[in-house]
Amino acid sequence: MSLSIEQLRAQARDAFARHGVPTRRLEHWKYTDVKRALAPLADNLLELPSDPMPVDALGDELSIAGLDAWRIVIADGVVLSLPDDPPQGVHVASLAGQLHAQPEQGVAALHFDEQAPLFNGLVALNAALAGDGIVIRLEDGVRLDKPLYLLHLSRGKAVHIRHRIQLGRHAEATVIEHYAGMDAGLSNVISRLHLAEGARLHHVRVQQEAVGRTHIGRVEAELERHSQFVSHSVALGASLSRVDIVAELRGPGADCRLDGLYLTNGRQHADHHTVIAHRAPHCRSREMYRGVLDGRSRAVFNGRVVVHEGAVKTDSAQSNANLLLSGRAEVDTKPELEIYNDDVKCAHGATIGQLDENQLFYLKSRGLAHEEARQLLTFAFADEVLTGIAVPALRRHIEHAAFSKLPHGEDIEGMLAGHDGTGEMA
Amino acid sequence: MLKIENLHVRVDGKAILKGINLHVRAGEVHAIMGPNGSGKSTLSNVIAGRDGYEVSEGSIRFKGKDLLGMAPEERAWEGVFLAFQYPVEIPGVNNTYLLKAGVNARRRHLGLPELDAMDFMQRVKEKAKLVELDPSFLSRGVNEGFSGGEKKRNEIFQMAVLEPELALLDETDSGLDIDALRVVAGGVNRLRSPERAIVMVTHYQRLLDYIQPDIVHVLVDGRILKSGDKALALELEARGYDWVREEAGA
Repeated sequence: MSLSIEQLRAQARDAFARHGVPTRRLEHWKYTDVKRALAPLADNLLELPSDPMPVDALGDELSIAGLDAWRIVIADGVVLSLPDDPPQGVHVASLAGQLHAQPEQGVAALHFDEQAPLFNGLVALNAALAGDGIVIRLEDGVRLDKPLYLLHLSRGKAVHIRHRIQLGRHAEATVIEHYAGMDAGLSNVISRLHLAEGARLHHVRVQQEAVGRTHIGRVEAELERHSQFVSHSVALGASLSRVDIVAELRGPGADCRLDGLYLTNGRQHADHHTVIAHRAPHCRSREMYRGVLDGRSRAVFNGRVVVHEGAVKTDSAQSNANLLLSGRAEVDTKPELEIYNDDVKCAHGATIGQLDENQLFYLKSRGLAHEEARQLLTFAFADEVLTGIAVPALRRHIEHAAFSKLPHGEDIEGMLAGHDGTGEMA
Repeated sequence: MLKIENLHVRVDGKAILKGINLHVRAGEVHAIMGPNGSGKSTLSNVIAGRDGYEVSEGSIRFKGKDLLGMAPEERAWEGVFLAFQYPVEIPGVNNTYLLKAGVNARRRHLGLPELDAMDFMQRVKEKAKLVELDPSFLSRGVNEGFSGGEKKRNEIFQMAVLEPELALLDETDSGLDIDALRVVAGGVNRLRSPERAIVMVTHYQRLLDYIQPDIVHVLVDGRILKSGDKALALELEARGYDWVREEAGA
């Protein structure tokens, strides 16, 4: 059965009418009051977005410095331009273009499933309203020579974006989604990823929206046999952010790593919900999320791992560690393991704490001043999440952003001058 | 250089050191030997400034200054170095950056210009050779994934780079096989100098076969019961500690 775009939009509007904006009465939104955050928009959430803003030189200014990538700027949810000459076997289109030229592809990209893990009204809202996004397909065996860099600049009140990325068999790519919203409002972005047999995808989200903005993100990844998926989700900005990542390990031998970092201060709120569904035998999943919280900020981590009946020889490990720099910051962390067969190896752990006294003493005994030692340990704690990022300019960018968020971080950045992410001295 | 007078220390209300007197002059190598639980590690931790020790009486002066009034980092800047018995792992903090920060913090304290990256790396490479430290360890996290022996080697390497005036070696020989012990001891011996004092805390006399002390002290039940030359260490090895206790009437 294939829907027309009009039918799909109508269904999505119905679904949104039924589910609405999630409230704290829902189990997975208990700690995150998105309804309150979106109250100023409540009456016109179903209005279509306004015209795109002028971008001028902002794109260059906010881009990750020194990043050699295929850059695509998305302004207020509208794709401004596509690469002129993508490599052979790489097909890049805008969703708006596809809805026009190949509507059935566009409809497929906008697909939503009310039974999917962590489904909520905002997913339906996205399906109802997203007018644009990137649709990219790599043919079998194609390796993207440099990252695909999606720079999202948003000023609009409500911006809904839908991306779809499909990697053919043994194809390889790195995709960076960078969010640099500038004003209050809502960014609501869904990325649907498909990895065919043996494909490898590194997917990095860097969320640096302005304070005042609400960021809702969702990543749905389907992993076929022996594919490898690495995800980094870095949450630095926005007043309230909520990112759901769902990885479905559908083929034997699939391998997934979900890493994340959230740094919050002031009254920021950062929420990550992840689901890793082991549906096939011999799959492996690794997950490491870390947070550093200051001020009166609040973070939520909910990591669910489901090992289905046939998923024998599953190997799964998950950890979430949090550092509280302030007595008024708060974390709610909840690992959830559901295992439906005996032949598995699963580990998980969550910690909330302060800096380690033994490590502090060690650094001070080597001559580091108390504050310097604290800052260095704090940065090192956060930086460990970034070790899997192999693009130096990207890692530098995130580290720099992290430094500027940590108390006196600029001192440490000076001290580590020469650090290029590989541990070499300049 | 180091003058400890009538030092009494409590941990969780329990008296551990009960009146330690110890004078160490520049250029000297002292060994403090004693059975487990005699207070050896407490002594080195108190000198380095670790929290959790209550000094109820006595003083520690270093180059005439009151050491007990200083923060651990100030002691490091003054030239005190502790080679830990159990060096902690600090993932994500690069070994070399730590040392560079340490060296330059001390130089600022002393009113010297900071070392630039080139001079610093030069020094680091030289010293790494001294203890036969694999250069790949330089760019790794501090002690991250190091074996017990590698951690001890790294401690002596750090000591060589930081060039302290007073080096405290806390059970540096424990966990070392004979080859590693030889290398580590060789590193320490090359750091002996007329300007530097070394205090080794050890349970066994094995280390003293490689690093010859000028003076040996026997620490039992929180007191130094006997001091002597190197021959004392051999006697302890042969006869244990009980006779010292009896002789002292303790």
